[in-house]
Amino acid sequence: MPERVTDPSVLRRSRDTWPGNYKVGMWAWVLHRITGLGLVLYIFLHILVISTGLAGPASFDEMLHRLHSPVFLVMDSVVLAGALYHSLNGIRLLLFDLGIGVRRQREMFWAVMVVAVALFLVAVAKVAPLL
Amino acid sequence: MDEFTLRIFRFDPEDGQEPRFDAYRVPYRDGMTVLEALFEVLDHQDGSIAFRFSCRGAVCGACAMFINGSHRLACQTQVKSLGPEVTVSPLPHLPVIRDLIVDMEPFWRKYEEIKPYLIANSEPPEKERPQDPEDRKKIDEMINCILCGACYSSCPMVWTGEDYLGPAALLKAYRFVADSRDDASEERLAVVSTEKGVWRCHTVFNCAEVCPRSINITWSLQQLKKLAVRKALF
Repeated sequence: MPERVTDPSVLRRSRDTWPGNYKVGMWAWVLHRITGLGLVLYIFLHILVISTGLAGPASFDEMLHRLHSPVFLVMDSVVLAGALYHSLNGIRLLLFDLGIGVRRQREMFWAVMVVAVALFLVAVAKVAPLL
Repeated sequence: MDEFTLRIFRFDPEDGQEPRFDAYRVPYRDGMTVLEALFEVLDHQDGSIAFRFSCRGAVCGACAMFINGSHRLACQTQVKSLGPEVTVSPLPHLPVIRDLIVDMEPFWRKYEEIKPYLIANSEPPEKERPQDPEDRKKIDEMINCILCGACYSSCPMVWTGEDYLGPAALLKAYRFVADSRDDASEERLAVVSTEKGVWRCHTVFNCAEVCPRSINITWSLQQLKKLAVRKALF
């Protein structure tokens, strides 16, 4: 007699929407969507934060001071990581539309990741002394 | 490996029960495919499981299923390559008729939309329409499609876009557009270069990853996009 499967981890893994089952191109797409939404959200936050320094020279200096706090620098790094990925993967997608690399999409994704991480580390090395 | 666990998705719309997975212990023999394992269960343990199959040799496309996290043909997938636990469910994002059988109606309906047959303006010849080997080579890859539906089921644009024609139909459209004997490119490009056609494709590449015939379907869709742009501009 068959046994009824109740293990939730088995049931989860049996779905194609479970991230563990994503293939490379699917990750590239999902990350592109997430970073895209994040960047839109960032623009509004950015306007909001900048607007706190508009009440005169003193408030502007104060705002700049706030922007140099560790919290903001860490958040800036997150924005930078998202922007780097989104722009580099955007180039990957544009190349596909030009017919370049369509048969090498996995390698193109890893190239995007390597370049993004390298540029991110360069930026972190510049920012870290400010912390 | 003497024995392995085979979990099979079970659903019968008529018994009023929720879908479930049943687990069976199946004796392993060398070279066993997932389809053979399903037969082992059907013959010796549970005659009530339902699944589609026909050729058993990866040319008919009837046994496409979701096996251990990927869309595969049951007849083409070695149990050995999956390990001691095999989980089989019907192709996702298609209505389930029963157990592992899905309703392919949306797939075929969209397939028909691109007119999947040769349309030639010239008089029918006495024997056949000859084609240069060079011209034939251009469509070698696309002709390999067995219409199993794995790409269709794997595409997140199909999941979210009810009208999207899907990878298989668009691949077939390119197969005829690129065929030197076909005269209906204009007609086909008109169907394909719409929001429910190639412009819905976001180059996620799931179709190319899961195709059991290793067809890079996305490549053909990109070719169609290029042709559509060219047609609109010049």
